[in-house]
Formats: sequence, C-alpha cells, structure tokens
Amino acid sequence: MKVFTSFNLLLSFIALLMLLATTSSHAEKGMNVPAIGSMVVMSGLENPWDVAFTPDGSMFYTEKCKGLSIKTSSGSTNALYGMKGSKGYKNAGDDLFCEGQAGMLGVELDPNFEKNRTLYLYSSSTKYHGSGCKTNFERCDGNIVMKFTVSKDLKSVSGRNDIVRDIQYKPFKSNQPFGGPGAHNGGRMRFGPDGYLYVGTGDRHRGVCPQDNSLLCGVVLRIDGNGKGHPENIIKADNRIYTYGHRNVQGLDFRPSDGQVFTAEHGPWHNDEITKLVIGGNGGWDPSEKVAGRGACPDEYCGYEPNQMEGMTPAVRAAYTPMSDTRFSDLMPPAWNNNGYSQGTGSAAFLKGSNWGIYEGRFATGIMGIGFGGTPGGMRIDMVDIAEDGLSVKSVIHMPTGVSKRFRGLRMGPENALFATTDEGEIYKISAQ
Amino acid sequence: MIAIMTFSRYLGIICFLFSFQIQAADAIAGKVRYNQTCINCHGPAGKGASSYPKISGKEVAYTIEKLGIYRSGIEIGPNSALMIMGAKALTDEEIANIAEYLKDAKYDVNSL
Repeated sequence: MKVFTSFNLLLSFIALLMLLATTSSHAEKGMNVPAIGSMVVMSGLENPWDVAFTPDGSMFYTEKCKGLSIKTSSGSTNALYGMKGSKGYKNAGDDLFCEGQAGMLGVELDPNFEKNRTLYLYSSSTKYHGSGCKTNFERCDGNIVMKFTVSKDLKSVSGRNDIVRDIQYKPFKSNQPFGGPGAHNGGRMRFGPDGYLYVGTGDRHRGVCPQDNSLLCGVVLRIDGNGKGHPENIIKADNRIYTYGHRNVQGLDFRPSDGQVFTAEHGPWHNDEITKLVIGGNGGWDPSEKVAGRGACPDEYCGYEPNQMEGMTPAVRAAYTPMSDTRFSDLMPPAWNNNGYSQGTGSAAFLKGSNWGIYEGRFATGIMGIGFGGTPGGMRIDMVDIAEDGLSVKSVIHMPTGVSKRFRGLRMGPENALFATTDEGEIYKISAQ
Repeated sequence: MIAIMTFSRYLGIICFLFSFQIQAADAIAGKVRYNQTCINCHGPAGKGASSYPKISGKEVAYTIEKLGIYRSGIEIGPNSALMIMGAKALTDEEIANIAEYLKDAKYDVNSL
C-alpha cells in the first residue's frame, strides 16, 4: 500500500511537470499581437499624396497642387520643386499643373540614392500635349515621370529629365459621375527588387484605353531609370508595359517574402481589388462600349454603367462592366475584391518588421471612404493576409489606427513604421510594438 | 384697445414660432447626418479633400440653396451626379441641420 501511494505521488509529480512544461510551451508560442498606435508627424498640408524616405530618415512628400518638399531627419522642411504658380519653392516647373484628381502624385528614390542622389517624380504636365488633347477622344500626353538629382544638403533638386512623357491624361469634363477633367491618373511608383521602376497609370475615363496597349493608360510600366522598358517585358505594342487592363493603379508594392508585385485598385462603384501581377497579364478592366453585350455608353465610357447616375446593387453593375472580366484568357484574377464594394482603395504597402507581430507580411491597404448607393463608407486601413499563391486572401483585419481619414498614400518608413498621407492634409506615423 | 392687445398677442406667438423655426436647425444632428455620408468625400468638418471642395464656413442659406438644387436633380459641377444622389436622400430638416453644422464647423486633426 505504501509503495502504491509513493507510486501515485510520483505519477502526480510527473503529471504536474508535464502540465507546467505544456503551459510554458504555450506561453512561448502565444500570439504576438502588437499594440498599434498612430501619431501626426505633419499637418496642415494640401492633399499630400506620397512619401519616400532617404536612408537617414528624411522624408520627401508631394502635395498634389503645390509640389515636392522634404522634411529632413533634423526636422527642418525644404520646399524643393513646385507646380506652376506655387510659391516658396526653390525651383518650379511651369508646365506642371493640377486639375481634379491630377497633379503632383508619386515620388520614389533610386535604390542607389545614397550614391547617385536620384529621385523620380510623377506629375501632370502641359509640356507634351503637342497637337493632341483637343478632345477627350484622342491621344493626350499629359502625365509624365521626371528624374532629378537631389543636392547633398537636401535643399534643392536639379537636372530635370522627363523619362516618360506620354502617360495619358483626361483634358475635359465628361458625362460621368466623377466626370471632371484630370480623372484616373494612377501615379504610384515603386522600385522593385529587380531594380526596375514600376509605374501605375489610370484609364483617364477613356473606354478603349485599358485594352489598347498603344497608349499608356490603364497599364503598369516596368522601366529602368532612363525610362526604357525592361528587356524581358513581353507586350509588343510598347515594351515599357508590364501589365495592362487596369482601372487606376494607386497601390503598388512588393511582397517581402518573394518579391511578388501586387496592386491595389479603386473599383467603379463595385469591387476594389488587390491583384497579383504577372508579366504581360491583363487586369481585366475594359470599360469600352459596344463589347461584351454592352451598347453605347455616355462619352464612350461604360465604367460606371449601367444606370451610372443612380445607386444600385454593386453586383448588378459588376455583371455589366466587371473589374476583372473573365472574357480575357490572360486575366490576372484578383486576390481580394472588398466583398464586392468600392470604398476607394488608394494605396497599399506590405508591413515589414517583426514589430508587426502576427500582422507582419500583411498588405496594408488604404481605403478612402466613398459610400454611395447603399455602400457603407469606410475610411480605414485594412491589413490583408494574402495567400501564398496570391490568388486569394486568408483574412482581413481593420488596422486599429485610432483615426478615420481618407488614407491616400501608404509607405513603410523608419523604425518599421507605416506612414500614411491623408486627403485631409496630414502625414501619420503608424507604429506597432 | 382689445383689438391691439389681441394683435400683439398673435404677433408674439408668430415671433415665437418664427424664432423657434430659426433655432430648430440642430447643428449636432447636422453633424451626425454629415458624418453618415458627406464626410466620405468632403472630409471631416467639411474641410474639403482631394478634388472635393471645402464646404464649411458658408452661410446657412447658401448651403440650403445648393443642396436644394442638387436634390431637384440639377447639375452644377463635374461631380454633380454624386451630389444629386446624396441630396435626394435628405429631408428639409436634415438639410437645415447640415447647413447649420457646416456654418461654424472647424477642422482640426482630431475632427471626427
């Protein structure tokens, strides 16, 4: 009996040890859910659109109707290159202008910035209109990519070289819900891990644009620092084009785990989308009239049809003019479609750094709002967990930023923080720890 | 004399009702309604955002007139379709409240 009791005690002790070991193991493998907080790093700006960081943490930023500036790591601000009519800038381009959604948009630094001091800038320009731009139904070379050299003291830029001169622009008002001039310019630029510059463009409200590769509209470019196409690009009509069939590419970034490029796009009353790009692939956006069972559309653009001036069930509209039309055999299917809604997806960036815990590697996607016809508004940032094959998502979580704004531009920056520009005029630093 | 007193009494009632009518516009209710829809384009406190104009700081009559025009389906600018769609859903009371709110709305970074 005594032996039996001792044996029982031994068993109990072993069981206790096992329990403690199990508990300890669970604690070590517990979910690393970071605390996320945001702070304003700049305010009172006019439509800040994009940011880019030097290795020492200085921040370039664009304001859509003003120009390019920098907030240095020491805290001073220098106005570098203004639009026509802007005041207080060291230099200005008299050909640069803003109208509607157009203006000075994306900014990007060369991967070798520390050595070559090279910066790229996207803007609307009158310089290359030539004999075009007389109507909405013809070629209009009105958006450009410029290249500059930044001075070592970060107080000026010089040596402007326009490396892309023929991105399409909408010059006049049309009969659409968002029908003003300057619509859908894309404008986001990011260097890929291959050392090439990827440039998002928009359909500029011209129906034939996204499927017509003789024009740079509704495409993503892959070019070198001089504007030449990557030698392995396969679109024969224009070898600068990497993918086509897009609506308005304002979100563009590369997945850290494999370098895969993804876009985030603003849908037309339906289906904001995140898409894994494939060389030569088709985004599937075709707003042209008299195809796919459609008749004539207002100003030859079916992008908001049918019944474009009234709210209606997004799925019905999606069936008429799909964001990703399965007619195309080269379609790049979206990984995410915002549950069929369009709420204004504007920009996106992959979350990098272990401080993001369980969210590391997710695609932070800025949503600007836009709630019409029964679509709920939603000014927020979503953290999208994209499947490894890039064809679906595993989960979507709203980022607890504590603020609700029109998030226009997202970019990772110093301290593995996410920086966000807002249409309201701020730049936020969103940190996780 | 009685007639004058009666007239004064009615005048007083009319003035009271008129002042009530003016004060009936509720800025707080207007803010709530504004934040349901309008904020998505025009931003917090009517600040204006992107290509959508600033609409705060306007006289009440101005905002009421413009929303009334949109509600009747008349185009004013390039984004009229959005405004017409939004305004059609508004009652007279909601328009008055929104106008009252926007008159003095001030944006700051923490505006909601």
